[in-house]
Amino acid sequence: MSIELHSISKSFGKFPAVKNVDFAVKTGEIVALLGPSGSGKTTILRVIAGLEFPETGTVQFEGIDVTSSSAYKRRAGFVFQSYALFNHLTIFENIAFGLRVMPRRQRPSKEVITKTVESLLKAVQLGGLGPRLPAQLSGGQRQRVAFARALAIEPRVLLLDEPFGALDAKVRKELRRWLREFHNRTHLTTLFVTHDQDEAFEVADRVVIIDKGTIQQSGSPQDVRSNPANDFVRDFLDAGVVA
Amino acid sequence: MTIRQPAGRRATAESLPVKILLISVVVLFFGLFLAMPLVVVFSEAFKQGSKVFFQAFTDRHTLDAIRLTLLVAAIAVPLNTIFGLAAAWAITRFQFRGKAFLTSLIDLPLWVSPVIGGLIYVLLFGRQGWLGPWLQANDIRIIFAVPGIVLATVFVTFPFVARGLIPLMQAQGHAEEEAAATLGASGWQIFLRVTLPKIKWGLLYGVILCNARAMGEFGAVSVVSGHIRGKTNTMPLHIEILYNEYQFSAAFAVSSLLAVLALVTLLLKSFAEWHAASQLAAGAAAGTHQP
Repeated sequence: MSIELHSISKSFGKFPAVKNVDFAVKTGEIVALLGPSGSGKTTILRVIAGLEFPETGTVQFEGIDVTSSSAYKRRAGFVFQSYALFNHLTIFENIAFGLRVMPRRQRPSKEVITKTVESLLKAVQLGGLGPRLPAQLSGGQRQRVAFARALAIEPRVLLLDEPFGALDAKVRKELRRWLREFHNRTHLTTLFVTHDQDEAFEVADRVVIIDKGTIQQSGSPQDVRSNPANDFVRDFLDAGVVA
Repeated sequence: MTIRQPAGRRATAESLPVKILLISVVVLFFGLFLAMPLVVVFSEAFKQGSKVFFQAFTDRHTLDAIRLTLLVAAIAVPLNTIFGLAAAWAITRFQFRGKAFLTSLIDLPLWVSPVIGGLIYVLLFGRQGWLGPWLQANDIRIIFAVPGIVLATVFVTFPFVARGLIPLMQAQGHAEEEAAATLGASGWQIFLRVTLPKIKWGLLYGVILCNARAMGEFGAVSVVSGHIRGKTNTMPLHIEILYNEYQFSAAFAVSSLLAVLALVTLLLKSFAEWHAASQLAAGAAAGTHQP
């Protein structure tokens, strides 16, 4: 499913976080929103998910305006930087959550929920950890639970906020590869936010570079690398990993 | 050059005499002001034997007082639980004008004398009060009747639940609620399945304190009650009447019931507090960014 943003602006108090942003993610594409911290990239992601509402502009899913619909109606799969797992629920129940809260008519049967959760646990290599609590898992494992939980509702788009930001270098590399492979298999429309250009260039089909709430450049990794659109992009890419 | 510390002693630890002094001051204070009165209540209650003690609870007016106290608590505590949840929710989840003012207003009943808490309702609903003539014309009795006692109790006890929940909910943040929303949960489902389980022990803690205060309140209730025996006397008011009538054993017998309530409250409170702390710790542990 495609995502389109038209002249989106959002400010917090007097601070303009996002200024007149236009961009689109095509169906089946995996796109990275790359920029330094405070550039407004997470805000854009939250606007798409329906966790923030823009002052101006429209958000469209597959050409349908969803600007004013709430997060729970949009049901975009969202993976939070801090995972935001339900700490009082087991891993199994975390992943099952999205299925259990469905309206009765759409809700799968108990057997189907169990099957779905078990297969998701296997898919993220956490088979057998269903009965554990989030606090008993490592950071990388929690991250994968967050993925499985978002995927359980069969979202039409996947939004990832600094998905690997809190992990050590080795786990990061593994999960990066895993995400790319997962995307190759499913072609689920994916947008992920990162401040790490290696991550963006390795995983994404297309990179959107953002600074101070506006888009600086958008293009394929090779494109952006060989033809930086302006001084900011050049400096940002030269600086390597910018926190 | 490093300064050598005696082995096993931390930099902030006090010397032994200071430690002994501080601990004995605390123990003495507790003994004098808390433990001894508690002993006195029970020994006075049983002074004339257990027969007199239990007889106190067969008295019609005593039973009426107990019944009224339970009724008032049964109305005030649920009301303030709902109010406290709503207030804590509003204050921790939304940004709005006058939020700081509202937050401090919640504490108002803790600053003002309970007598004033009662008096405002007399001034509002009493015979000479603002709404007095209208109430009289419609034959509605609030002051010197049960509704007045409920109002005064609600006023005095309304900070407890909200005050317990606000710091807890602030510390927990709302990332989990946001996650639930993206997974398709409605507002009500988010509250029942995510928020309530996270705050349940903190909520219980507030409810227990609220209940203890509701059953024990004297000042505010005294002003609006009118002390009509068998009708508008709660347990604390009834104790005062018994005492003033030199029925010491009966007075202390009813007191001992309130004291037992306080002890049970203390136990439940510690239990809830312990769970609330571990719940917060578990949340913090799982929310950290360590790999």
